[in-house]
Amino acid sequence: MARDKPERLLNLTFMLLSTSRFIPKEQIRRAIGPYREAPSEEAFERMFERDKEELRSLGIDIETGSFDSLFGDDPGYRIRRDTAELPEIELTPQEAAAVGVAANVWQHPGLAGDSSRAVVKLKAAGLTIDPSVLSVDEPRLRAEEPAFDAMLEAATTRRPVAFKYQREGYDVAERHLQPWGVLSWRDRWYVGGFDTDRGEPRLFRISRVQGTVKFSGDPGSYEVPAGAKLRDVAAALFPPTPDRTAILRVAPDRAHGLRAAAISTVALDGSVEGGRDEIEVPFAVASDLAAEVASYGDAVIVVGPVDVRDAVVAHLREALV
Amino acid sequence: MTAADRLTRLFALVPYLQNNQGIPAKEVAAEFGVSVREILKDISTLWVTGIGDLPGELIDFDYDALEDEGLIFIKDAEFLPRPLRLSRNEGVALTIGLRTLRETADAAEYAVIDSALAKLEEAVGDASRAPVDVHMEKIDPTIMSTVRQALADAQRLDIDYTTQSRDERAHRLVDPLRLFTSEGRHYLEAWCLREQDVRIFRLDRMLGASLTGEPAEIREAEPRDLAADLFASPDAPFGVFALDRGAHWMIEYYHATDVVPSSDGSGLMRAKIVGADSAWLVRFALRHADTVSVVEPEQLAKDVAAAARAALSAYDGTIPRVREVPPATAKE
Repeated sequence: MARDKPERLLNLTFMLLSTSRFIPKEQIRRAIGPYREAPSEEAFERMFERDKEELRSLGIDIETGSFDSLFGDDPGYRIRRDTAELPEIELTPQEAAAVGVAANVWQHPGLAGDSSRAVVKLKAAGLTIDPSVLSVDEPRLRAEEPAFDAMLEAATTRRPVAFKYQREGYDVAERHLQPWGVLSWRDRWYVGGFDTDRGEPRLFRISRVQGTVKFSGDPGSYEVPAGAKLRDVAAALFPPTPDRTAILRVAPDRAHGLRAAAISTVALDGSVEGGRDEIEVPFAVASDLAAEVASYGDAVIVVGPVDVRDAVVAHLREALV
Repeated sequence: MTAADRLTRLFALVPYLQNNQGIPAKEVAAEFGVSVREILKDISTLWVTGIGDLPGELIDFDYDALEDEGLIFIKDAEFLPRPLRLSRNEGVALTIGLRTLRETADAAEYAVIDSALAKLEEAVGDASRAPVDVHMEKIDPTIMSTVRQALADAQRLDIDYTTQSRDERAHRLVDPLRLFTSEGRHYLEAWCLREQDVRIFRLDRMLGASLTGEPAEIREAEPRDLAADLFASPDAPFGVFALDRGAHWMIEYYHATDVVPSSDGSGLMRAKIVGADSAWLVRFALRHADTVSVVEPEQLAKDVAAAARAALSAYDGTIPRVREVPPATAKE
C-alpha cells in the first residue's frame, strides 16, 4: 500500500495543476485509483485530507473554492500554477556555489534535509551547483537544543509560546514569550522577544528550556514592534565598544593578551621597574578590565585611570579571603 | 532518505529530465546524490503518473533507449515544466545557511553571497526575512587567508601564537592539517615542530601568520579529539570552587563537573573545574575573585592568595602614582 502513496500524491498534484478550474471532490475520487478503491466515504476523506496536508508540508498549497459559480455548494480544488512553480532564477556559477556551500551548513537533520531538497529543486530549474568554484571555509551550524525547532517555528510564524525555563541557580519557572527571532551566538541558540510576564523584551538561552514548548496562540497573533531588533535584546552577548583607555605597566614577556590589545607600548627605563613596558589599552567597562588585569597578578599594575585602579585593588582583596 | 526527500525528487525529476533529454541515468543519479537503482525506481513510479488515464495523459519514457543504453527520454510531461516552489522551511534553511556563510567568509566574497541572497528572495518568499541571526567569531582576514593558503598549498606556517594558560607568546612552526570551528570558535589543527606532536591552535590567539615557503611534511598523525584536548585530559589539574549566583554560567562554559548546590539558600554552587595547568587555575581564580572562591586543593587556595598579595603590594606605596588618562576620542 505504501508503495502507492508517491504515485497517488503525484497524480493528485498533476491533476489539480493541469486545470485552472476548481475540480469537484467526486471527480478527484473517480480519477485516482486508491481513492476510487477506498472501502468507504470516510476512508477516502481521511486519505484525501492526509494527502493535502502532506503536500502542504512540501510547499504545495491546494486551494479550495467553488467549481461552479451558479450551483456551487460542493467545494472544488485546484493548485495555482503561479504559486506552485519556482519562479525563474538565474545565478552565476559563484552564486550557485555559495548556495551549494550554504546548503551544507546545517548539522541538524530537519534543516539539513530542507536544504538538500531546496538544492534538488534548484538543480531541476537548470542551475549547476558546484561548490568548488568558490574557495571558502565550510561553516557548520548545529542546533542540538531540543526546543530549537519549536522556537524557530514560533519566531517565523509569530506564535506566542509558553515553556519551562531553568536558569542555573534558580528554580524552574514557567515563562511566556512572543518570540521576535532566534539568534545563534558562538554555536549557542537564543530566542528573544517580548516577555509577557515581565512586560519587557527578554532573551532566553534555548538549551535551558525544559520539556516541550507549548504554542499558546495562533500564528500571526502578534506583531513585532517596528524598530525592534533582536540584536538589541541580545546586547548582553556582545561586548560593548571600548570608549576609554587605561595605562598599564606590564612585566617583560608577560600579559600577552593585554599587549595584543594595546594601542601603544612604551619601554620604561629598565633600571626602574625591571624592564616593564607601559601600554595603553582600550576598554569599555572598568570592572571587566580589572578582572583581566587581576588575573595576571603582579605582572600588570594599573597606572590609571583611578576607577580602574581602585577596581583592581578591590578585586584582588576578594582573592585574599 | 525520507518520504519527503523522495517526493521532492520525483517532482523535480519531471522538469529536470525534460530539460536534459537523453541524459544517462548514471549522471542523473550523481546529480541528485542517489544510486542509479533509486533513479530507475523513480522512473517506474513516474511512468504510471500523469494528469489522467488516457493516452497522452500519462508520463511516458523511451523504453528502448533506457533498456539498451541507459539513456532517459521523457515525454507527455509538459504539464510540469518547472520545479515546485521552495517550501517555507526549505527557504528558511537555505537563507540561514547563506547568512552563516557570510559570517565566516572573507569580505571579498560578500558581494557574491549578497547577490545570491537577493536573487533567492523571489524564490523563497517570506522565508528570506526569516528572523534568524547568526554570529560567529570574527578572525583577522589576513591571518585567516594566510592559514587557508598554507592548507591549500600544503606549506609550513610560521604563527605568532599566545598561549593564555602559560601567558606565553612565541613563534611556532606548524604543518597545517585542517581548519574547523567548534562552539563558535575557529581552530587550526596542525603538526607543531616544537612539540613534535599534533596541536590545536585557536585562530583568535594568533597575532600573526606567515607562509614559510617550505613544504609541509605529510605525516600520519592521529587526529586529536577536541573535547578531550580542550576540556578533559585525565591528568589535568583541577580545582573545586564555590560559585556565587553570578558565576553559575561558568558551570556550562567551563564544562564543570561534580556540581553540588548548597542547601542553605545562599545560591552558592560547588563545582569541579579542570584547568590546562596550575597556572591556569590561579589565573581563573584571580580573574573571577569577585564571584568565585577556591574550596580545594589547599595549595591552590594558598597560591591564589599569595598571587593576590604580591599584586596588591604594588599599590601599597607610592609607585606608580595614579595618573589620570584623558578620555579617548572615538577610538574603536
